[in-house]
Amino acid sequence: MNLSLLLLLLATLAAGCATAPHHTLPRTAQSFPADALITQRAVLTALGRQYTLNGYLARSATGGQRLIVTENLGGVLADVLVKPDGAVHVMRSSRAFTPQRIRRHLAADLQCIFGDLPRADCPGQMLSPTHFVIERRWYKLDVQIVETKPGPQSPPIFDETQKATP
Amino acid sequence: MRKTFAAGLLAATSVLLAPAAEPPLTPVADPQPILANLQRQMSSLSSVYLEFTQERWLKLFAEPLKSEGVMLIARPDLIRWETTAPFQSILIGNHKSVAQFEFTDGAWKKLKVGFPQMLRRVMEQMSLMHQGRLDALTKDFTISVSTGSVAVVTMVPKDQEVRAMLASIEIQLLPDFSATREVVMHEPGGDRTRILFRREKRDVKMAAALFDQTKPLDLAAIKKAVANEP
Repeated sequence: MNLSLLLLLLATLAAGCATAPHHTLPRTAQSFPADALITQRAVLTALGRQYTLNGYLARSATGGQRLIVTENLGGVLADVLVKPDGAVHVMRSSRAFTPQRIRRHLAADLQCIFGDLPRADCPGQMLSPTHFVIERRWYKLDVQIVETKPGPQSPPIFDETQKATP
Repeated sequence: MRKTFAAGLLAATSVLLAPAAEPPLTPVADPQPILANLQRQMSSLSSVYLEFTQERWLKLFAEPLKSEGVMLIARPDLIRWETTAPFQSILIGNHKSVAQFEFTDGAWKKLKVGFPQMLRRVMEQMSLMHQGRLDALTKDFTISVSTGSVAVVTMVPKDQEVRAMLASIEIQLLPDFSATREVVMHEPGGDRTRILFRREKRDVKMAAALFDQTKPLDLAAIKKAVANEP
């Protein structure tokens, strides 16, 4: 390879890098019912291994969003309430999903897909209106919405003072 | 998470064996003869087919969160737990390995399963249960039996750490152990998971490909076979 060809290749690569699409999830909150129960199936990939999760999201226009994450047979791994102002309340945690992980990752990813407030840190793609992928440094979260039941949710769901017992 | 999942999976499969609870039930002082009878009946089976509805009852929600699926178990140690709605997922195991598949974007994809050792251990326990070997579970559970309109086997984890997440498992069978009705996993806070079984078919001929851990045969094959059963 001569020098000019090498320079051309480098220039091409540089241009490619400069113009490469920076995938960021679009804001999609408006496409979901303001009041609804949304069931999700997710595959979490971390350190080369994959874990399947179920997500149950209760949405309220006035109360906020409450997400419960369970493992395959129903055990609750995480329970988080995000108020309309963005305040995060960890209602239930587990060994796999510590309060810190829930605040730092789970609540953030929840807001990326379902949040009303704009967020800059949402690396990922919307593969379809019901299929989202979030890719962060340490993990990849593939989320599919499998069921949406529109309708008002029970107000206590959005009361941060009513924590579930583990 | 591991222990909860393991216990849950275990319970789900244990389904085979049996029972759970509606009054009036009478606690059995010595459950050993009943457990032995159960083991005798189960040990003669070559396979079991079950369709299930899983209800997740959370105090937070007025109604249960539901999913549907099918469970297959075949001697000596094969098991397939498949969720068919509202999403599609397959878990297949034997005493050596486990595999999980998710149906995504129109195709099945095999996952690089996390905690494979734990899952394999659960599969071994499932195999034991398929043979009615509840005695093999006494190391991990305190087992009691109640009888009445149904037979109920209650398993309470001995490990305090496990008990903090899973208070007990109830397996409800017909009094003669001819079919499993449901399995209920109770949590300390009052939440519970209920797995209701229907269309239980025993000694159904199952193709080995149904348990293939690379490209498992579609469930339609066994469903068709079961539909033709008397």
